[in-house]
Parts: sequence; C-alpha cells; structure tokens
Amino acid sequence: MKYAMIHDMEKCIGCQGCTIACRSENAIPDGYFRLKVKMDGPHGEFPNLNFNYVRHSCEMCEHTPCVTVCPTHASFMDENGIVDINANLCVGCLYCVVACPYNARYVNPKTNVPDKCNFCKHTHLKQYGEPACVAVCPTDALIFGDLDDPLSPIFSYLANKPFVTNKPHLGTKPKLFVVPNKKGGIKL
Amino acid sequence: MCARGGSGVNQLFDPNRLVNPIMRTGEKGDGKWKEISWEEAYNYIVQKLSVIKEKYGAKSVAFASKSGPEQTFLNQFAYAYGSPNIFDHGNTCPSGYSVALTSVFGNGSISRDFSNCKFMLNFGHNVYEGMVISYARGVTQALEKGAKLISLDPRFSVLSSKASEWIPIRPGGDTAFMMAMVHTLIFEELYDKKFVEKYTIGFEKLKESVKNYTPEAMAKEYDISAERIRELTRECAKYAPHSMVDFGHRATFSPEEIEFRRAIAIANALLGNIETKGGLYFPKSPALYNKLAGEHVAPEFKGSILPKLEIPQEPRIDLIDIKDGEFSKISKTRGIYSKVFKAILEEKPYAIKGLFITRSNPVMTVNDSNEVVEALKKLDLFISVDVYVSDTSQYADIILPESTYLERDEQFLAKNGKNPGYEVRQKAVEPIGNTKPSWQIYLELAKKMGYESAFPYTDIEDFRIKQGYNYPNEMFKLKEKGMSSYGIPLLARDKESIKKFVEKYPNSKANLDSDREFSEVLKCKTKSGKIELFDEALEKACGRGGLTYNNPKLKNEDEFYFIQGKVAVHTNGHTMNIPWLNTLMSDNAVWINQKVADKLKLKKGDKIKITSKVGSQIASVLPTIGIREDTLFAYFGFGHTSKKQDIAYNKGMSASHLLENTISPVAGNNVHTIGVKIEKV
Repeated sequence: MKYAMIHDMEKCIGCQGCTIACRSENAIPDGYFRLKVKMDGPHGEFPNLNFNYVRHSCEMCEHTPCVTVCPTHASFMDENGIVDINANLCVGCLYCVVACPYNARYVNPKTNVPDKCNFCKHTHLKQYGEPACVAVCPTDALIFGDLDDPLSPIFSYLANKPFVTNKPHLGTKPKLFVVPNKKGGIKL
Repeated sequence: MCARGGSGVNQLFDPNRLVNPIMRTGEKGDGKWKEISWEEAYNYIVQKLSVIKEKYGAKSVAFASKSGPEQTFLNQFAYAYGSPNIFDHGNTCPSGYSVALTSVFGNGSISRDFSNCKFMLNFGHNVYEGMVISYARGVTQALEKGAKLISLDPRFSVLSSKASEWIPIRPGGDTAFMMAMVHTLIFEELYDKKFVEKYTIGFEKLKESVKNYTPEAMAKEYDISAERIRELTRECAKYAPHSMVDFGHRATFSPEEIEFRRAIAIANALLGNIETKGGLYFPKSPALYNKLAGEHVAPEFKGSILPKLEIPQEPRIDLIDIKDGEFSKISKTRGIYSKVFKAILEEKPYAIKGLFITRSNPVMTVNDSNEVVEALKKLDLFISVDVYVSDTSQYADIILPESTYLERDEQFLAKNGKNPGYEVRQKAVEPIGNTKPSWQIYLELAKKMGYESAFPYTDIEDFRIKQGYNYPNEMFKLKEKGMSSYGIPLLARDKESIKKFVEKYPNSKANLDSDREFSEVLKCKTKSGKIELFDEALEKACGRGGLTYNNPKLKNEDEFYFIQGKVAVHTNGHTMNIPWLNTLMSDNAVWINQKVADKLKLKKGDKIKITSKVGSQIASVLPTIGIREDTLFAYFGFGHTSKKQDIAYNKGMSASHLLENTISPVAGNNVHTIGVKIEKV
C-alpha cells in the first residue's frame, strides 16, 4: 500500500474547509497548522486573471530528507508510505524541521515534538479510510488513494489529468500531486 | 463541509459565549451585566411586555430574527402577543430576488439546476465564497462537464477565477445589461416561443416596455460593448433551455434591484429553461409529487403543528400589508426590517417601544449603524436571544443565551428539490451551561404570558411526533439518517426525466398534458396562475408592471463605488469572534486597483479613511489588479463594536457604518453600494 493525495487546483476554491477539518480532527494547537491553503494572486493581465490555490502540507516524499537527517529514527516512513514521527524517539533536535524543503513541519508547543500532516493516520484515516480534509472538501478537489491499487480513484485521476509535483528538481518525489490551473501560468 | 461548519465545535467551547441569561446593570452599551436565572429573566420580560401592551398596544413591540426554524416560534409568540410587526433579515439580504421571483413565478424560492447547466451568466453570485455547499458542488460539476460560465462582477472573485470569462462590469450597470439582454432575446426572436405561449402571460406588454432598451442604448451604462451583449445573449439562447441567468443571493446592489432581478427572472422564462436540465425548477413538495405520481410516494409531514393565528389587525409599520401595494410582494414573515429603526426614532407611522430579536445583529447588517444604535438605545424594552454579546445585543436589557446548533434538536424541515425530502437537526452534545433552544424559550415565555394554546407541544420530540404522526417508520428513518429523500428526481419538462418518472409511476401517465409535460408543476401562485412577464398589480401600484430602466446612480463623479461581498470562512457578521475562524481572517482590507493605489501612493497595509454621506471608517488597503479602477471592495461583517467579542473587536471596517438606510422600490431592500471618498491617514 502506498498512500497518496491529489490536490486539484482547478477545483479548489480556497474555502479553508480542509484546514479547519484538519485542526478539529487532529487537535492542532491554536495558531499552528498542519495544513494551509493559500490563495496566491491574482496574476495575469486585466481582465484575464487567475488565482492559484496552493496547498501547504507534508508532501509525503518518497525520498525523505526529514527521515534521512533524523539521528534517532523518530522520523520514519511507515509500511503504507506515510511519513510519520514517533514522538517517543524524538530528542527535539529539529533537524527534520530544517531539512524539509516544503516547510511542512511545526513544533508543537505542548509536546516540543515536530508535528505535521500524516494523512490523519491515527484519526480520520483510521476510522473512515480517508483523511479529514478529503472528507470535507466541498468541490472534491482532494483525491486520496493507494498508488499500488489500479482500482483506486487516484489512479484513474492521475491517468486523465495533467499533474505536477512541487520542487521536482530536489528529487524528493512527493506523493502529493498537484493538478495545476488550466487558466493562466503555473507558478509552483 | 465548510470552514464555518467545521468550527462549530470551537464555538461550542468558546469561553466568550453566554451560558446564563444576563441582565444589564449599567447604561445601554457600557457592558455592565449580571447573571440572572431564567425565571428572573422571564418575569422581567413578561412584566415589561404587559406594561407596553397596556400603554401603547401590542403593535408597538417588533419581533425580528434571522430566517430559519427559530423564526417559527418567535413569530407565533409575536402573533399571540398581538403584534403584526414581525421581521426577518430579508431586506438586508435576499429580498431583491425573492420579491422578483414572487412577482414572476408567484414563488420566492425557486431552485437552480446548477450541475446540469451548460451556459451560465452570473452577476456577482459568488457561490464559492458566499458558500452554500450544494451550490458550490453544482457549479463545480457543471464546469467539470465543460459548461461555460460568464462572471460579471466589478471585482475578481473566486467564482470569477473559475469562470470561462470575467467581465468587470460597472457597479449598477448590471440592470442596464439585463434590460439589453431581455431586449435582444425578444427582438432578435431568440426566446422560446412555444414556452412563452403555453406558460406565460403579458409578453406583448413586456415587449412594449423594453422596446427602447437596445444594447446600443444601454451599453454606455455598463462598460461592455453592445455587440458583446448581443453575442452573450445569442450564446445563452443557443444553449437554451440548458442555460440560465443566475438570480444571485444577497441581491442588494442598487436601488433598482427589483428591475434587475425581475429582468433576470423574465430572461430565464424567455429562455424556456423552467423545469429543464440546467435551468430553474420548482421544489416538489410531497403533496405535489404524490399527486403527479398517482400514488403515495412521500410521507406528508406537517410543516408546523402550531395553530395558525390570525394576523393581528393593526397596520404594520412597513406598509407591506397594503393589499396590492408597492411592497405587497414581500412576505409577511419578512417585512422591511430596516424600517424598524426609523419607526423607533421617528415614531412614525407609530411608535415602536419594544424589540425582541432572536439571533439577529442589525448593528452589523442594517445600513447606517449609527441610526440603529441610536434607536436601540431609545427602546423601552429590548430583549435579545443570542450566543454572544453581539454588537446589537450589547444594547439589550436582557440577553437570553441560545444553545448552538450542536446542542439543540429542531423540528422536521421540508427539504424539497427535484423530489421531496426532509431534514432534521439533532443535538450532538447536551447544552453547555443554562442555554436553551428557541422552541423552549418561546414555549416557556408563552406559558408565562398565558398563550399556552398557541404552543401545543411539551417539547421538540412531541412537536416532531405531531408533525409526522401518520408515518412512525419514516420519522424513525429520518432521525437515524438526519435527512431523507423520496422518489426519483423530476423535471416536469425534461423528456428523459419524465420517461423515468412515468416508468416508475405508471399512474402518472394520466397527468401528462398533450405535449407530454407535467404542466401541473408550472401552475404558479400568481394571480393569473401563469408565469407573469408583466405584473398588473405592480403596474397599478407604482407603474412597474413591465421593465423600466431608471439609471441607478450610485455615486458622484469624484467618488469610488464601494461594494462588498461574503467570504468563505465567515458567516455574515457573526463568526468573527470564533477563534479558529478569526485566525483564518480577522480583518477586511479594502481592495483598491493597483494603478489607483500607485497614483495615490498607497501600499499594502496603509490606512485610509473612507467617507460616505453617512459616516466614515478607517481601513487598511489591499492594492490588487483584480478590481475596477472606479471601485473599492471589502468583505462585510467586520469592524465589530462589542468589546465582549474581544478578538474581533474593532478589527477591520464595518460597511454598515457607511451605507445609507435606503428602502428601494418594491423589493424594499437596503442598498449595499454607495459612493465614497478616500484619504490616506
């Protein structure tokens, strides 16, 4: 099993339903975020404009700088491809926070352990088979599934839509795929 | 689910919310309160209401709420008390289109089949920010299927960003645009002749009324060429009947709202899109559906079990009760809310001495907030049912704490679409503190006042059982699932839909007309029973039977248009103090065109003073390329004045402090656009 997610920017409306669902589901401390969607723009030449709706969360890399730098194996990738943190092993060195090229980690002020999206592994995914953000999205802009399963909805979606990943030159091979806006230029 | 729904739990545990009734101990608005028991609160209210009734008559107490299930109980209480003056927030929000739809279709709540639409004209109905999830889903599905969406909006909204084309129309120019569109549909003979003949009345008179509104004559009003509107109209007609002109929401752009929204309603009728895929359709009630099907498909729950009280005979303060008068198309439960405050201050047509509101915040939502505050301070009695000490509640004598939506059970509500259904809200947790739901508050108060007979239920469960008495199984299922739907979707003029319906319910064949359509569905609640393209009653009352173009002059030469809109992370003016939502957006910077900002040397975050003829506000600016050069835009609902809403207090600017308390013709709406000047501070 290899969990992955698609963020379809074409369908995303920046409503923040996902960021609130994440906060509620995973008891994120006030003022911190595992997940944000930023509206970027408008870009273009009046009146031919566009917004980009940029999801900011863990990209679930295949090649994980955060795991590589972790001296205690607190950061790890589980059997389902989810990059996760074992708080018991964490010594608070924060190497992983710095190593993440997507700036996806924050330090939980209560535990002093880095925290980030783990596809709701212990919460919504466990109970309902998909992360909370995916469950609430009003325009179905988030698609979640298993890259090892050809019957997974994520499979046909990727087959039919053009998609990109963020910062591909770093070779991290994220499992968060982005379907860019058709309108206007793509800035990633 | 949207961010607001997801934050319900954050509101539930918000330490700022009220959990006990409180009574004012200082001057109005100075924030001194003491907690009291419900018993004390009720006794105070009962005593005051009795005194006012004796001294000035029951009519001198006005009752207002947001629309929704709570309104049922407040209104029943008002009528039992003897006051005809009941209001909802409509005139600050949807009255423009609901009155227009009532005029044309006899029904203010017609549905839009967004998801099957192939060509959509949208005038600032930002379904992606003023979010109703089903609308957002529908439009997204249509776009996915390749629908063309044209967004006519002075600013670049999220909806505009998803549209095929954004046309930055001039504020107020939309009325002229629609006149020209209706003209083009008629005079280029693009309209659905068969539909017009079969289902409508008044076409010739309409034609006469718009004959001069050629695109060429109108074009100067909206900054779009005459040729472009002809093209758009032709394209819209090409896709008909699977095309629509969206009639919008919070439709309160200009004083000519009624003409604009009626023109939209009429354009849809001319396109013949009523009861077709991608057009408009009438909600199918269980009674209608069962009748068409020729069998009992859906249970017929009672809408309300409350005995129908006679409307108190006294005249209303807003004149909507004058038969066939200018405002007579406005619903009796809606009224013209913003007239209450003038009536309090000027005591015309008679004095309003008391005000009773449930979850309504006119200081944020009614135009000219200073006037509203002054009026609230003048009241002999002001009771507010609220979750917080809101901008309005802070002037109350007593605030009764209402349970939030997660803590209360409600009655069964109809949820009719293409097929009938019901929904029911059920509490997720027990109420925190001593909060109570509206059904209980008004029941208990009614008992104290001696109006038990008007409230024949013991609790909400009793109410529900009486609603669905004949359908115990259906009630059980509904409560289990939260919502229910019966039968299959029906569009009364769509061949495919009709075929499926007839297959499923063979008895329904007998109800088809000679065109094999269910014309029964299109029997309107208008006087003629048809879709009225010309409104005889309005013609008599104020000469607005057809369409008339009266230039809605919204500003002077040297001013900006000030416009506003909703944002996806807040619900109007009452979620800014919910911590999670406040974190997402705590302030409303005013959009200004980048070129204009450069000229005025304004950078992002700079403060400006915005001044209208009514008041002024300090705001920070957001220079952007996504707005016209003559227009300023802000999300509304910010600039809170209640210090008890500590994190939202004084953040951002309040549009209501700038807007004039105008009452527009026929629709009776508060106009949400005004001319303003700005200066750097």
